[in-house]
Amino acid sequence: MTRFNELLKHAVLLFGALIVIVPFYQMVSYSLKSPAEIERGIGGFAGSQALMTDEQCVGRNTPDRSDVETARTRFPGQDDSHVLGQLLEEVRAECQVRPAVFNYTSAFSEAPLLCYLLNGVIVTLSIFVIQVVVALPAAYALSKLRFWGREAVFGMVLFCLLIPVHAIALPIYVGLAKLGLINTYAALVVPWTISVFGIFLMRQFFMTVPDDLVDAARMDGMGELAIVWRVMLPTAVPALMAFAIFSVVAHWNDYFWPRMVVTGDRSLFTPPLGLREFKADIDGSLYGPMMATATVIVTPLIAAFLLAQRKFIEGITLSGMK
Amino acid sequence: MVAVDMPPQTRRRAARSPQTMAWLLSAPALALMLLILLVPMLSALVLSFTDYSLGATELNWVGLDNYEKLFTRSSYEKMLWATLTYVLVVVPMSVGLGLGAALLINSLGRGREIYKTIYFLPVMATLLAMAIVWELMLHPTIGMVNRTLEMGCGTWIESLWPWLADGCANGMPIWLGDKDYALWVVCFIGIWQGFGFNMVLYLAGLTGIPRDLYNAAEMDGARSAWERFRLVTWPALGPTTVFVVTITCIRAFQVFDTVEALFPRGGGPSKSAYMMMFAIYEKGIKQNLIGVGAAITMLFLLFVMIITVIQRRLTERKVHYS
Amino acid sequence: MAEVKITDLRKSFGDTQILKGIELKVADGEFVSLVGPSGCGKSTLLRIIAGLEQESAGSISIGTEPVSGIRAADRNLSMVFQSYALYPHLTVAENIAVPLRMRQMTRWQRLPLAGGLMPGAKRREQEIAAAVAQAAETLEIGALLDRKPGELSGGQRQRVALGRALVRAPAAFLLDEPLSNLDAKLRVHTRTEIAELHRELGATFIYVTHDQVEAMTMSDRIAVMMGGEILQCAPPQKVYADPDDLRVAEFIGSPKINVLPAEADAMGRLSVLGRDLPIAVRPGRQTLQIGLRPETLHLARGDAKIVGRVVHLEHLGSELFAQVAVEGLQGRLVLRAAPAQAAALQIGSEAGLDFDPASALVFDAAGMRVREILTAPAKSLAQAV
Repeated sequence: MTRFNELLKHAVLLFGALIVIVPFYQMVSYSLKSPAEIERGIGGFAGSQALMTDEQCVGRNTPDRSDVETARTRFPGQDDSHVLGQLLEEVRAECQVRPAVFNYTSAFSEAPLLCYLLNGVIVTLSIFVIQVVVALPAAYALSKLRFWGREAVFGMVLFCLLIPVHAIALPIYVGLAKLGLINTYAALVVPWTISVFGIFLMRQFFMTVPDDLVDAARMDGMGELAIVWRVMLPTAVPALMAFAIFSVVAHWNDYFWPRMVVTGDRSLFTPPLGLREFKADIDGSLYGPMMATATVIVTPLIAAFLLAQRKFIEGITLSGMK
Repeated sequence: MVAVDMPPQTRRRAARSPQTMAWLLSAPALALMLLILLVPMLSALVLSFTDYSLGATELNWVGLDNYEKLFTRSSYEKMLWATLTYVLVVVPMSVGLGLGAALLINSLGRGREIYKTIYFLPVMATLLAMAIVWELMLHPTIGMVNRTLEMGCGTWIESLWPWLADGCANGMPIWLGDKDYALWVVCFIGIWQGFGFNMVLYLAGLTGIPRDLYNAAEMDGARSAWERFRLVTWPALGPTTVFVVTITCIRAFQVFDTVEALFPRGGGPSKSAYMMMFAIYEKGIKQNLIGVGAAITMLFLLFVMIITVIQRRLTERKVHYS
Repeated sequence: MAEVKITDLRKSFGDTQILKGIELKVADGEFVSLVGPSGCGKSTLLRIIAGLEQESAGSISIGTEPVSGIRAADRNLSMVFQSYALYPHLTVAENIAVPLRMRQMTRWQRLPLAGGLMPGAKRREQEIAAAVAQAAETLEIGALLDRKPGELSGGQRQRVALGRALVRAPAAFLLDEPLSNLDAKLRVHTRTEIAELHRELGATFIYVTHDQVEAMTMSDRIAVMMGGEILQCAPPQKVYADPDDLRVAEFIGSPKINVLPAEADAMGRLSVLGRDLPIAVRPGRQTLQIGLRPETLHLARGDAKIVGRVVHLEHLGSELFAQVAVEGLQGRLVLRAAPAQAAALQIGSEAGLDFDPASALVFDAAGMRVREILTAPAKSLAQAV
């Protein structure tokens, strides 16, 4: 009976797991297959990897007049159209690629995916660093210093905790537009520099740090700022790690905000924007490269998650701790 | 330089008072909170009574016109309807599935970690990318979903499942292109993406329940799993549930990535999936109707505030057992 | 109410044996304590009796019925947990009512709201409310009935846990260290109350504790457990005065019993620290140990059997404990003296100790009690030979 129960539970959970994982399977699978295989729904997971012709490569290398002139010596006694045909055959032969290679190379060549990835890294990292630089001293003051107005400041933190930044995106957008900051890195970063949740979290963490530690540092002659960076920061590393994961995951995956403030300027695109642009551009035959792009964008976080699951789950569910 | 020779008295004066120091430490955070959260919130309120648009030279007070539009025009009615449907479907489903998965996984002897990892994958993945993958899977002709369904045609399943029989005879649904399905597909993706997060929070809640309570329940005569759930598990998960419902609600209200990716023209077939966040983006940014966008923003904030206030009430009422 | 009989009970987790063949019979209405250091298996034994854990071998019967394979809910036992295990979301009254509601009401009657409409539900509710009120009165927690456990002090929670156990009349009460989370003063008070409660109810109590004072003061019999075995099960005074095993003698009694190495010569005559004692065991050379309770030692009037130096004094008001370091002994001897003798005991001064040889508890090298003692004076014995 208990055995049967256990089996039943596994059956239910496996069914759920299947539905959860199918899109990931599909994404990677499509990123490996040729357009024909995608079109006809054949080829299993990885496709047959039979050579296919890269039409864009052919398009780029189509022989022109001068090519025909220089090649004429190789095909003596043939008229131009024949030479052209021969050359085209050669080009087509050279443009044979494996579908997987084709998909991933086009992901990077059709759009500046590398640049998008780099933007993603720059934006997420700057957001996290600024959040910490702003939040840590405030959290320290709120937890370890007694000052007039502390309750009011903390009350403000609690109130601001209620406001989702997404909700007030429009007025922030208007403000940035007035400052002429639309289509700049600043626009991508500035609205997220203040993490009220980060302040709250760090304050809760610092409350558990004994006051004696701070007093000992003062006895050693440290100033308040030195205490924040040289005493409190090291003690807060575990909490900061979790917060880092929370923040990085949120902003790497964010699509809404970049969509709001970056219009058209591809050099500022973050990975999700790049993928969206790719989707808007495709003519129907480029599902493979699009899925390759999606795979490239999704992989870094998924890989990190699989390597350090516990930390990630801790970080993402952090907001559950308040 | 001179610091070495400074008389003690001057040095003492140079050291800032703890009061000033505390304010200095929290100043950046305070300033950013004010500029990025509070000022935009107030300006949204102000803008919602105007016909402001970017680049316009003048700004007119229009009173409650914008709000009146929200409650009278059919497109906004559709927006409210779609958003509320989405929230009312996604929240109970993803909370329920999260709880169910957590209970099942928690009761397993082995294999807990693997299910936990799989169910958490969608939380980590870039939602926009996954929405595009789902779109591909739901493609009417080459999508995996319809292909799988078609495999059931002509088998015994068809006789058991009239819906499938209908699909086989008259063509499978075109999902995202069909106004009867579009919103439900968006809901499904929301649930698919979010329930793993709830599951993890519930799992954390479950580990916090003292084993003795289950023993006591057994001694008190609670014989069935359901009785133990009613007597111990469900009440102990109360605080987790309040939190999970709140955060899922707020996230559900913010749905944007899926609808923007799936329905680039906006709102899906007959605006059946026209969500609030998308409306803010469309009105405020694409069409430069800041006033209307601001009014939707205010409505949105109102919803979020109501939910949070309810949550705080419930949390405060809860007496914790130490 | 019923007797509880345990026969050759064994429990192992993997290769570790937690319980190694427990034999115990608790009579109807008896109060038996299971006492021992942590990890001795006493809590496991209680949980197996309760049915919360499965035995590996052996049998248990409650009343006349063997209960192996019967789940805890069906064994008709009540248990008080160390953590009290009160349902945090229920009020005190609701907590106490749970065992009755679960057992006496049908699933339909228990439904919130609709349950009240089921036939018989109202009457049941009233009966239960009356039972709860009575239990609350017994424990003097009537004023707390509407509070939640989170609003109660430790002592109050403990009473609620007791109330939940005694609201129905089970075959036996099982108590798992119920006092260990209380402060010292409250613990003393509550232990009297529990003992009185037991007398009043006349029910079978099985009480687990690591505190020998609790066991001594409350029980009809004490079962001293160590290493998964019951070393001795007897009334408190017998366990104290007549232990079967050196480990029992050392565990029971505070301050701890003094243990001195002793030698028996070929004739079985005993000597301690080179001094002959007027007692003998069965003939044959062997190493022994003798145990002397602090109260059996006294200051010697004339010839002292043991001579040492006072190193520490503990005045407790009604009595005085002196720690005496003796050359050739690793530990210190503890002597109980009357406060009047304080003058004779100065730290650093020499003290001659004497004891009545008849009060010495003799153990063999393995720690087993040697009961065959010949009390003939050593001299006459020697002369006889």
